[in-house]
Amino acid sequence: MGGIICAETVTGIETMVEETKKLVQKFLAERESDGILGLRKGDWNIIQPHVFTLPEELDALVLDPKWPFAKLAMQILRTAPKEYRLAVICRGCDERAIFELFKRNQIEENRIQIIGIPCSSEQARLCLCERPYPTKLDVGDAVPGVDPFEDAGVKELLMGDDTRRMKRWAQVLKRCIKCYGCRNSCPICVCEPCKLENEVWVRRGSIPTEILSFHLIRAFHLSDSCVACGACQEACPVGIPLQSLQLSMRRALRERYDYIPGCDPVKKSPILGDFVDEPEKDRSIPEWVNTLRE
Amino acid sequence: MTNDEIRGMTLEKNKARQPKILVFACKWCGLIGADGAGRKKLELPVDFRVIPVECAGFVEPDAIIRALASGIDGVVVMGCHIGGCRFNNANHQAIKRLELLKELLDATGIGKERLMISFGTAHEDHQFADIIKDYFRKISGSIRLEPWVESYVPKR
Repeated sequence: MGGIICAETVTGIETMVEETKKLVQKFLAERESDGILGLRKGDWNIIQPHVFTLPEELDALVLDPKWPFAKLAMQILRTAPKEYRLAVICRGCDERAIFELFKRNQIEENRIQIIGIPCSSEQARLCLCERPYPTKLDVGDAVPGVDPFEDAGVKELLMGDDTRRMKRWAQVLKRCIKCYGCRNSCPICVCEPCKLENEVWVRRGSIPTEILSFHLIRAFHLSDSCVACGACQEACPVGIPLQSLQLSMRRALRERYDYIPGCDPVKKSPILGDFVDEPEKDRSIPEWVNTLRE
Repeated sequence: MTNDEIRGMTLEKNKARQPKILVFACKWCGLIGADGAGRKKLELPVDFRVIPVECAGFVEPDAIIRALASGIDGVVVMGCHIGGCRFNNANHQAIKRLELLKELLDATGIGKERLMISFGTAHEDHQFADIIKDYFRKISGSIRLEPWVESYVPKR
């Protein structure tokens, strides 16, 4: 899934793989978890996710390319027996997604362990990632993030006057074939039933879909929880830059409430609280608001 | 020229001139203003509809998106002022949510001005009338959403 390995960092990646293997070996030996979710290079060099349970399998462990693991881990834990514990080899985005799933009670905290690995600077640039590293790194060194608003493609979509931007977005979103790939691949989209399947919001069986309702409702539902993993964009068969839809809302959350989704397993989204508990920068509230509370 | 043709022309003309506006009015503030404005027979634009809601926190952002997608030019949400909410500061959350929605509308080029949020400014009838009139003036200048919406709303 879009991973590029640069020539000069190959040795760095090799040592990282070796270190990860050692760590995973330790996990398996000490029975800290029943399985370890990672990528395995199988026959004919096909790379796919695999739950490692035996030390002999570990030769085939690889770290690239980037593969979103959070939803997969959730599904494994749902079908597995209650006492099953899983360790996941996580990039920054996977960890953020898992933290968001903790808050939504989709994963129990004591059943999952996180092995944090950093992304390469090429990967960070490809994903336009602001935080290409997890909160706790187990191997390797973190690389600095990229500012997505500096990217030329993003600038074209988000800058300029309203009319031009609207035309541009209409052109891009018109390509949608309503495959629901963006929703299915998103690690945060766990609502049951989903609003996008409801006749009230999005008419069933009509293609092309009503792009405004479909895309904006989907984008807004993730406004305070999008972890910028880019899974939606990678899953899109017609190449709609869906990640750029979230950027302005992410920036607003960071500027107003100093909140980045998924960076803390406990802290809830600030838009769920009022201005007393979660104050907004540059917004004054009357003092007597506090005294109304008991 | 037959009557039907004339009626068609007038309809067409009206359609081209007036923007359509949807107002979500909180029962405790905005709706009282709207009621008073009607009772006093204040001068008001024609093409707006008021949907009474119990609290501004009830207004789902999805409903606003759906309204814009089905050809409404602007949406107004009216609630009580900060601190004056009857329902555990639900209007604080409404403000936070709708401000975020504004960011999304701005990013896609639909424009921040399509959504107006007014909290605690429409208690009185003349205030309500002023807000609606001002908003109509503001929204008439901006381009129609229809070229973007038209072909995606299925014809019945």
